[in-house]
Amino acid sequence: MENALREKARELLTSGEVQVVIGYGWNRRKTRTTPVFITRSEDADRLVFNPLCVNNLSIYLTRKYKDIQALGRPAIVAKGCDIKNIVVLISESQVKREGVYIIGATCNGVVYKQELWAGELNPGIMPTKCHNCDVRNPHVTDFVVGDKTDFTPPEEPTGMVFDRIRELDKKTPSERWGFWIEEFSRCIKCYACRQACSLCYCERCITEKNMPQWVETSAHPRGNLSWNLIRAMHLAGRCTFCGECERSCPVNIPLNLVNQKLVLTVKDAFSYRSGYDEKEHPPMIVYSPEDKENFIK
Amino acid sequence: MTDKLLKRENLDKLIGSVTVGGGVFVAPGMEARRVVFREVTRADEMTHDYIIPVNSYKDWVFPQTEVIARFAIKKDGVDLKGEKIEPPETVVFGARPCEAASLASLRSVFTWDFIDEFYTRREDRLTVLTVACTAADDECFCTTVELSPESTVGSDVYLKETADGDYLASAITDKGTAFMEKYSTLFEGASAEAKPKELFIPEKIDGIDLDRIKKWLDNKDHYDDPLWAELSRKCFGCGACTFSCPTCHCFDITDEGTTYEGEKRKNWDACQFEHFTLHASGHNPRDAQFKRWRNRFMCKFNIYPKKFTSTGCVGCGRCIRVCPVRHDITEVMEAISGR
Amino acid sequence: MENIYLPHLATITDVYEETPDVKSFRLVFQDEKLRDTFEFKTGQFALYSAFGLGESTFCIASSPTRRGYVQFTFRRVGRVTGGLFDLSIGDTMGFRGPYGNWFPLDEWKGKNVVFVAGGIGLPPVRSVIWNCLDRREDFGDITIVYGARRVADLVYKNELEHWGDRKDVNLVQTVDPGGQTPDWKGKVGFVPAVLEETAPSAKNTVAVVCGPPIMIKFTLQALEKLGFSTDDVYTTLENKMKCGVGKCGRCNVGDVYVCKEGPVYTATEIKRMYNDF
Repeated sequence: MENALREKARELLTSGEVQVVIGYGWNRRKTRTTPVFITRSEDADRLVFNPLCVNNLSIYLTRKYKDIQALGRPAIVAKGCDIKNIVVLISESQVKREGVYIIGATCNGVVYKQELWAGELNPGIMPTKCHNCDVRNPHVTDFVVGDKTDFTPPEEPTGMVFDRIRELDKKTPSERWGFWIEEFSRCIKCYACRQACSLCYCERCITEKNMPQWVETSAHPRGNLSWNLIRAMHLAGRCTFCGECERSCPVNIPLNLVNQKLVLTVKDAFSYRSGYDEKEHPPMIVYSPEDKENFIK
Repeated sequence: MTDKLLKRENLDKLIGSVTVGGGVFVAPGMEARRVVFREVTRADEMTHDYIIPVNSYKDWVFPQTEVIARFAIKKDGVDLKGEKIEPPETVVFGARPCEAASLASLRSVFTWDFIDEFYTRREDRLTVLTVACTAADDECFCTTVELSPESTVGSDVYLKETADGDYLASAITDKGTAFMEKYSTLFEGASAEAKPKELFIPEKIDGIDLDRIKKWLDNKDHYDDPLWAELSRKCFGCGACTFSCPTCHCFDITDEGTTYEGEKRKNWDACQFEHFTLHASGHNPRDAQFKRWRNRFMCKFNIYPKKFTSTGCVGCGRCIRVCPVRHDITEVMEAISGR
Repeated sequence: MENIYLPHLATITDVYEETPDVKSFRLVFQDEKLRDTFEFKTGQFALYSAFGLGESTFCIASSPTRRGYVQFTFRRVGRVTGGLFDLSIGDTMGFRGPYGNWFPLDEWKGKNVVFVAGGIGLPPVRSVIWNCLDRREDFGDITIVYGARRVADLVYKNELEHWGDRKDVNLVQTVDPGGQTPDWKGKVGFVPAVLEETAPSAKNTVAVVCGPPIMIKFTLQALEKLGFSTDDVYTTLENKMKCGVGKCGRCNVGDVYVCKEGPVYTATEIKRMYNDF
């Protein structure tokens, strides 16, 4: 698979179809993967693909990476889950479909965090998204590397995130509130969650708007709560549950619980799942006479 | 200097003796599936199986957020009161020798000409009990920055684990001597049998030469080298490295509260944030992520050695472990050393 | 406990509306003792606070020769300056300073001084101008070249009139092409060009330059053409600051901390700095 990937990258760079290939490479010790930007065909051999390739590289397609855009038209190595984010970016007019060459990577799952890798992939170290993945054969691509997989996701979603959501749903609202206040109390306001998210592409985030100061900058319960709730709301109907925010959180706030809950809520209310069709718009930015109005009581 | 023996079973008593009088005992413990420095009240809240906690204990000398003044806006003026702090005795147990070296760096920034008493008062009340490392991971690089599990700089009491899980303690500073005297009943005479476990000394990364790095950075023309963008293009500016770094000291001062009363706070900030240096005019001297990353590197390996102390980076490896894109500072150190 | 971040309380005693979005405040400290003992040097800056909104950094625009008060000028752009803009005479605000280095006026004794300023860059220079005028006998010729985008953007209009009337000051005012009004009597043209045209002698002369980056860039070139050595050209850097005392870590240009080693630098020193502007 890696050979096909490198071959394709070389071909794209040599023909001038793209000027940069955004993909994964090894760190110095070959223990972890890290994003690489290949601009010369002779460097294409640096590209790798394996279960350590956790990063969602679609972030580098967003507007704020001006120095990457300056390199020219990009090709991107993307797993099905990463492609979902590219699809949202296209549907929100952040990226043009023809502006990026998508090298879809067939995927059999990745690790939840690279530190968990002990030489072998097993369900215990995979994130919930991988257990229920319906895009292991990438769905929107210009080229696919890797052998087709016949994995079918379970009917009833499984995995820790769903288990914990079910647990939380059983709690009373005040217990749930207590749970989240406790979790958010660890927030250090580093905004790693936002920076890691390709759908958090606002050039000026609400935290940086200070007239008035909507979100208090201090890492105290009030400021932490408003930040985390606002971010969740801004991602409702858009988030693809890629898990980059939770993976990036240095204090392990279980953001995947918030995100998946929102995914479920939007699915129930609008029968919409983000990241599958670049021609469809997220429900929160369109009006339809068929929209349910059951929230008006 | 003779070693004393601190028995594992006496840790509970030590914690109790420190906290009973209102003192604070900070030690590594499990929280949200990670080992962190946190305040403990009993020994069973501690963990002994860790390389280094994910957070720095700088939080206890330089808190994430702290009130520096309070104000009330009245009809005929403003009432303003500066915050006065009287920090409790604070003990950090289980620091690693790399991180212990960082306090001197923080202190030199916070006492450079103007003295920040919010920092000094806390640090004056802080005693650092270092436990030397018997293990390391791939990210540890203390020996590359001229430190090692054997270095005692910054530690007040230096402890080595024995095979039985007890600790051989030696006082390094006057503060450490005073600490061991104050709690002398818990520091017993060590018998000859009590042998320390072997320390684990991480291998020095061959291709890195701190002196060359500093000299290369001394040349201002190298600020425009394409290497910066190439090596740090992947950084997405989350700031997690700075928040977990024991020598990062940048902060913001902000007013918070209601229309009529509130407080001035000093909050951690990060040079990796786009808005960190953004002028009101809209001009930003560091308008690309690689320029912000360049500043962090420059700060550690040129500004610190030139202006403050030689130790801008202690090699604890936290920034590498925490980085969502695995941007490895040692790879940049290596690349620059090769220039 | 000494608290280096605690502002002094000050009362606004005068408000001058310089342009539609620029104001100057005159401040008197509420602590009477401080009022008598407070000293600063020309070129130093301070942090000014609108309580509840935060602090902003500006140079002190008054001259240390005028004791008992300090004056500063600011443009309404953000949260803090917006809050300050809404304050009026009698209101309380915060002042923390003075910080940083200063213009070495004593070294300039016996020399001519040329001031070049653009737009909101005049306030820091104003402190130097009044300082020089208050000890006029110490200096040779004094030339002021000041310009703004439009006539309405010129600050200190009353003082400009006063300096224009003085026989011992050569004031040249200009506005950018298109910024003139029908009754505008000054020049029309960009500051660097007008400076070249005015052509002050570089002999035994120092220059003080302050304004937007692009103006500074071309002014430095113009001064070079006129024969000025970069050692004799001074400017004051403005970077975002939060603490003002070398701790918060955001004003550095490469290895230089503007709040401590600056804000006043010679052009020679600027040339030696890292490309971090």
